[in-house]
Amino acid sequence: MSTTDIPRRADAPARRTRGRTGATRRGDGRAAIIFLAPWFAGLVLITAGPMAASLYLSFTDYDLLTPPTWIGPENYTRMFEDPRFLNALQVTFTYVLVSVPIQLALSLALALILDKGLRALSFYRSIYYLPSLLGGSVAVAILWRQVFGADGLLNQFLALFGIQGEGWVSHPDYALGTLIVLNVWTFGSPMVIFLAGLRQIPQMYYEAASIDGASKVRQFITITVPLLSPIVFFNLVLQVIGSFQSFTQAYVVSGGTGGPADSTMFYTLYLYLKGFGSLDMGYASAMAWFLLLIIGGMTAVNFVASKYWVFYDD
Amino acid sequence: MRFTTTRARRAAATAGATVAVLALAACAGGDSGLSPAGEDTAAPPAEECPCEIRFSWWGSDSRHAATQEIIDAFEAENPDITVVPDFTDWSGYWDKLATSVAASDAPDVMTQEERYISDYASRGVLADLSALEIDTSKVDAAILAGGQTADGQFGIPTGVNAYAVVIDPEIFAAAGVEVPDDETWTWDDYVEIANEISAKAPEGVYGAQDYGFNEAGINVMARQRGESLYTADGKVGVSKETVTDFFQVSLDLQAGGGEPDAARTMEIQDAGPEGSLLGTNTGAMGVWWSNQLGALSKASGRELQLLRLPGESEGERTGMYLKPAMFYSISSKSEYPQASAKFVDFLLNSPAAAEIMLTDRGLPANTEVREGILDKLDAPNALVADFMAEIAPTIVDSPPVPPNGSGDVADITERLNAEVLFGRLTPEKAAEQFLSELEAAIG
Amino acid sequence: MTELTAPTLPDEGTRLGARISHAAGQLPPPSARQLRARRRAALMGLLRHALLIGFGLIMLYPLLWMLASSIKPSALIFREPGLIPTEIDMSNYTDGWTALLHPFSTYLLNSGLVVLGSVIGNLVACSMAAYAFARLEFRGRNLWFAIMLMSIMLPIHVVIVPQYVLFSSLQWINTFLPLIVPKLLATDAFFIFLMVQFFRGIPKELDEAARLDGCGHVRIYWRIMLPLALPALATTAIFTFIWTWNDFFSQLIFLTRPDMYTVPVALAAFKDSTGETSWGSLFAMSIVSLIPVFLVFLFGQKYLVKGIATTGIK
Repeated sequence: MSTTDIPRRADAPARRTRGRTGATRRGDGRAAIIFLAPWFAGLVLITAGPMAASLYLSFTDYDLLTPPTWIGPENYTRMFEDPRFLNALQVTFTYVLVSVPIQLALSLALALILDKGLRALSFYRSIYYLPSLLGGSVAVAILWRQVFGADGLLNQFLALFGIQGEGWVSHPDYALGTLIVLNVWTFGSPMVIFLAGLRQIPQMYYEAASIDGASKVRQFITITVPLLSPIVFFNLVLQVIGSFQSFTQAYVVSGGTGGPADSTMFYTLYLYLKGFGSLDMGYASAMAWFLLLIIGGMTAVNFVASKYWVFYDD
Repeated sequence: MRFTTTRARRAAATAGATVAVLALAACAGGDSGLSPAGEDTAAPPAEECPCEIRFSWWGSDSRHAATQEIIDAFEAENPDITVVPDFTDWSGYWDKLATSVAASDAPDVMTQEERYISDYASRGVLADLSALEIDTSKVDAAILAGGQTADGQFGIPTGVNAYAVVIDPEIFAAAGVEVPDDETWTWDDYVEIANEISAKAPEGVYGAQDYGFNEAGINVMARQRGESLYTADGKVGVSKETVTDFFQVSLDLQAGGGEPDAARTMEIQDAGPEGSLLGTNTGAMGVWWSNQLGALSKASGRELQLLRLPGESEGERTGMYLKPAMFYSISSKSEYPQASAKFVDFLLNSPAAAEIMLTDRGLPANTEVREGILDKLDAPNALVADFMAEIAPTIVDSPPVPPNGSGDVADITERLNAEVLFGRLTPEKAAEQFLSELEAAIG
Repeated sequence: MTELTAPTLPDEGTRLGARISHAAGQLPPPSARQLRARRRAALMGLLRHALLIGFGLIMLYPLLWMLASSIKPSALIFREPGLIPTEIDMSNYTDGWTALLHPFSTYLLNSGLVVLGSVIGNLVACSMAAYAFARLEFRGRNLWFAIMLMSIMLPIHVVIVPQYVLFSSLQWINTFLPLIVPKLLATDAFFIFLMVQFFRGIPKELDEAARLDGCGHVRIYWRIMLPLALPALATTAIFTFIWTWNDFFSQLIFLTRPDMYTVPVALAAFKDSTGETSWGSLFAMSIVSLIPVFLVFLFGQKYLVKGIATTGIK
């Protein structure tokens, strides 16, 4: 459990002693069945079948148009001889490792700024969320050329300082960078989750700390940080999962090609092009299950690491 | 809710097993399974109509509106047949079609394209149209052959396009460069003229837009040399030298300033007709399919013109050809093949349908209805019709139907062209890679 | 643009954050020194707003550009890509509204129905599952939780074909059922995990106290957890709304008749990468389709920030 101590007032509820009484535990199993019933039905009826089917298909040669034929693990061994696959893996890892930390830091910083104490906060919050509303709209593709194109806004701005910019969005060395910027720019969703998380922290903790004379900085470190940590953890886990599967932005900005020269060929985009473009759904399924292993591994690592920094009040 | 490593691993393993078991149970019951193309069941001899058939196509709103008008006209003539439209954009169309075929749920009448028709035909998705009542007597045999494989007629061309050079005469005039004679110009002339225009035109206006992303250019160049991108028996039929020369033209244009730098080229390439050099009045030449002249003219607001591709009199024969714009195909699983055939026949042969569609699906393949609409075309499309009539006599033959797996060629060409333009591959290396990747794709 | 302001932000963020929490303190009667301090604070506030607005403009630029493009004659969108139109032409709106067989209101309504079903489904089903995972102790909880997370690790592109086969055998193709029923069965693990994290942030003393008063799990879930996790519910509702509203791929695949098309599917039908795209209509209708989501966010976000902090705990 966390070593951080939460300052509390004497009249705040006493800290619960560890362990439960037998009485509370007894009813949980039955209640769990009730509460999990819809989810379990969904798992069995909707989620599991298609997932298992795709696992099966990953061991077949399947062109979508004719029935699959079993070929064993060939799709999996093929992957590691496919230079485009290895490139996609590298592109995706770069993207995840760079954009996830930046986006989390930015969204957390803005959530803290936009939490309270300023006029017109709801207005700012809405404005900052706007880019996330645009989603995968094709307008984003054109817009990104407007901003990061050879004659785009960025280069016009750089020209003021006599710097001649590149055609960022369509240069193999920089295109991935512009996609990272695009991803960071849509920081609205984690920001909103952070905002909600901040509001979840009971005000009484802060009041108690004030009375105890704790400085604001100290309050931030001893109250906000630990109590927000489950939400930071949530955003981290989901951003990692989501970024590994990132598809729409590269698809839209590169016109569905992952270009120029495969420089924005995300893993999922390659998988999609293989499955639907080259009608090689068996290979695409194998790639998907390999991706699941990667993401699952990263998530497991996250959960293990969370022991050391995530604080739960239970 | 915390995981130790071993617990997580065990959890994941058990989870996988559970899901598989559940899914097998879930799948076993379904009869539609993942087996679309089982044995062919013969179509019932007599169809029970009133019936409903589904027609799917790709395109943008103007095509959707026109097609719906044609459907209305068809339904007025055939009150017992209802045609349900199913439309979307190009890439969504193929995702949707492949998915519905996988579930034995394909539309009755569908639109096909040369890059995919062989895939769908050879896997038993499409019906042999020669067995159905569709009148193809007014379609030129060479054009009709574009939808044939050894096993039958699986698609009927909707219309034809030609791959040609579109020019903006105003930019030629402004640069003081004469429009070349397209019957005699060579590939060297093309590079020279483009470089000259870039040099003489104002800053930011170029001689030509890069053409290297489209394999049709390789095909024309190959045909001029007596080769062909694909052979009739479905192999790669182009030599390494030809592909090398094809990429070299791009490189020469780039070096001489005739086309924008690599990054700009990529940007413009992604922007479609509307964002192209011609569309934004910033380039004198571009290589396009003839049916795109309308969109280009509209975007540019200028009177653009068509020229033959360079090199038509340079090699041993001409290389240009008429490409079926799209095909109408019928699903082999359709419950109503006869009603579907009736509808395809209407699309192909009805003067009323042609008058609504005009050249939206290419210049009509049916020569008789084509004549009927000539005087109804707007200026750019009238120009296309004249141009096609002009080049028709010089065309030697139609290229064979691209083989299975040829859908990948667009992606291969575009990617390798980018590698060449950014100086990461020499044209020779790119040509080698082109041939090996294409062979792998269609092998 | 983004490059320019981004580096200054994190630093600004922490300082602002500290100051904001300071400003939120109690207000004793002013002295001369305090007045001066207050004037300085007002100045800083102004600066802060200027920064926030400047940053907001970057966020807003795409929308402004799209708006500008939607009121230009189509041909000028690419020839004159600037922000200020030289010619104004509203026909993109009137043409776009009627361009696709059915008036655009049909698609808005269809999207509305799908969104409504999805929001209700996610709110009810995901919160139930989340309660079980967060508060109940039952056998195999970690295992089931891992399975749940695993279900969002597989890219949709390889499960959509088996899903289509499944829904097709149920005769659900071309109905809204494949889009709504999964949500009613809590297949969106993102939101389960989100709510688990929020539920765990609610002090456990509360439900233990309730349990001592004789409350069952249903009452605790309904009377304590849900009201206290209002920000999480609001986040779920808003995100479900926006993501469903923008979701293209599954809606494209499962809906085959134009009268059932939703907004993203309809918007795609303006575009033809092989021929002519009606960019003007596309942008105009994109703006129209943004209005509902923006309004939902604008009004919904006040519930985001109605946490324990404002509702208080008795």
